[in-house]
Amino acid sequence: MSFLRTVQLDDKFGPFVEFQETLGFVPNLFHAQTLLPRVIEAQTKLGSAVCLGEGTISRTQKEQIILIVAAARRDIYCVTAHRKILSSLGKSEAQLDRLLTDYRRAGFSEADVALLDFSAKLSQHAPSVHSGDIETLRGCGLDDESILEAVQVTALARFLCTLSAGLAPEPDFEPWKLSSLAISPPREPGSQGTVAQGPRAPGKKEPYLRAVYQSPKTFGPFRFFQKNLGFIPNIFRAQTLRPDVLEAEAEAVGKILLTEDVLTRVQKESILLVVSAANLNSYCVAVHCDMLRGLGIPSEESDQIAVDHHQSNLSEADRALLDFTLKLGVRPLEFCREDVDRLRGHGFTEEQVLESVVMTALTNFLNTLQMGLGVEPDFELPFVLGQNKVHLPAAANPPMERGLVAPSLTGVQDPDAGLVAQAQAGKLEAFEELVRRHSQLIYRALVAILGDPVEAQDAMQDALLSAFKHLAGFQSRSKFSTWLVSIARNTAFQRLRGRKEVESLDGGEYEEDREFRPRQVKAWQDNPEQFYSKSEIRQLVERGILGLPTKYRAVVMLRDIEQLSTDEVSRQLGLTVPTVKVRLLRGRLMLREWLSPHFTTSVRRATS
Amino acid sequence: MITCEEFFLEFGDYLENRTSPEVRKELELHVSQCRVCQVLYDSTCKTVKIVTESGSFDLPKSVSDSIIDRVTARLRAGPT
Repeated sequence: MSFLRTVQLDDKFGPFVEFQETLGFVPNLFHAQTLLPRVIEAQTKLGSAVCLGEGTISRTQKEQIILIVAAARRDIYCVTAHRKILSSLGKSEAQLDRLLTDYRRAGFSEADVALLDFSAKLSQHAPSVHSGDIETLRGCGLDDESILEAVQVTALARFLCTLSAGLAPEPDFEPWKLSSLAISPPREPGSQGTVAQGPRAPGKKEPYLRAVYQSPKTFGPFRFFQKNLGFIPNIFRAQTLRPDVLEAEAEAVGKILLTEDVLTRVQKESILLVVSAANLNSYCVAVHCDMLRGLGIPSEESDQIAVDHHQSNLSEADRALLDFTLKLGVRPLEFCREDVDRLRGHGFTEEQVLESVVMTALTNFLNTLQMGLGVEPDFELPFVLGQNKVHLPAAANPPMERGLVAPSLTGVQDPDAGLVAQAQAGKLEAFEELVRRHSQLIYRALVAILGDPVEAQDAMQDALLSAFKHLAGFQSRSKFSTWLVSIARNTAFQRLRGRKEVESLDGGEYEEDREFRPRQVKAWQDNPEQFYSKSEIRQLVERGILGLPTKYRAVVMLRDIEQLSTDEVSRQLGLTVPTVKVRLLRGRLMLREWLSPHFTTSVRRATS
Repeated sequence: MITCEEFFLEFGDYLENRTSPEVRKELELHVSQCRVCQVLYDSTCKTVKIVTESGSFDLPKSVSDSIIDRVTARLRAGPT
């Protein structure tokens, strides 16, 4: 009897037929999810691609990985099920006992032991996985495709274990007694003195494994991500050695994350955010902060959800939802029926509770993939995730007070913090110093929106007065400079509304970059700017920028004139990073068209 | 070799040096063999360089100081 209500599905329900054919039974883990057949379909496809798809490591090796991960996580359900599957693949009871009690002395090959060591470490200590672990696997003769498969299988095992903890299905067979299990701590690859331990060296910019090029135009999963997310996350680009698994992952994202019939997309993104933050996965935190921004949640709010959702503006029910998923995602052994009842008490339906469990499982899957592949961030994270004790109200969730690892804002670097505090305490000189520091930024933000340098100077006075008026309300959830730009933005839009020329900066739908194609294809001269004086170049550029539509002008001004990073521009303008990137490219190409007649090789001009 | 359209789809990240190694390799191969994309890449890089180094929309310090002085004088005077 699992935690949630189930329904009877048609005997011909595809995934169940497939389970019967491949395993000889339908696992209770999937019977427990019958309220949402689409999530069963997604998981079955993912499981088949990862475990049954043709690859370089064998089915037996994959099942061994799942078994060891499940045992390390003390998941009786998954240990029982995958022990049975290995038995059906020809492993004797004695071999399985040896595998579970001490796989390092079970007579496996060096490569098999290395794979199990790696998977156990990735599943239990993901943030400490580093390039040295991958080199150890390569040293045992494993190629990049095999290592990729090991990462994918480990991620799948975490997916299954999270589901099992959250749903508590009855074991499908007589449960194996986990008390006799003695999993040794992960062996460090550096123990032989060849590889440095700890996180990989800073500055490394490439993922651990080789990938192959796939076209964003013709490769289905990439088209899917581009269309639905506005970009192709690096976590998927890094898995192109297994396109079939990528297809299944795209389907899982589509059927679990992108649907809105049960939980809202904002709730789901928030789940991804808090669980990723608790797993110290800054890659996923950055992605899902950006996704939330695209859904209309301001950066400072999504940052706050990641750091401590209890201090955010979420409803009480949504905070309870995130407490639930945090506990399940990070402390599954403490998760119990009362947690499910508590969520029901906040008005969540059975389907919503089920989808919360599945979303938590998907988060652990994605987090494990990213840590195992060493994927570089798609976006910058403005703060550093560190380990701290989470602060949650005792009445809300007592067990979590006992040492849950949670993120903290350890790395916020706002050089203005001291002056802001003084200014908020009423020291006018501090405010004056702050606005002098950022006067160029404020002015350029105003020009960007108003498209008129003279009016921007006039509007600057209004913006500064408005900033002073609202200073007490600044809560340091964002950088002070970001807040100042938001004030300047509002001032500029007020003026535009006054003259009825409002052109919104909002992204709305993800923009496609098909509207604009370059027309000028004449080559430019070498060092073309040498033929013009500095002031001529400046005038030319200024006229070109002022001629851009507002939404392109704003991005080009902040990125190329003010030289903020793309991620900072997205935060300053409240746009997603993919939207900023599309607009930046278009704006730059429009400027290129504008400048081309002056700089192509056919133009002959004497130095002024 | 990838097509010009595929090159264009990755062009923004290529300019920003944010592509993964396997994508960069394909883009570099394409640029080395396609004259049109070579011109596009070269001229867009030059555009970015010219724009970033142009010193455009530089608010003169005297103008900035004058605006800030007016604002602080008004704040010191208190609500009107």
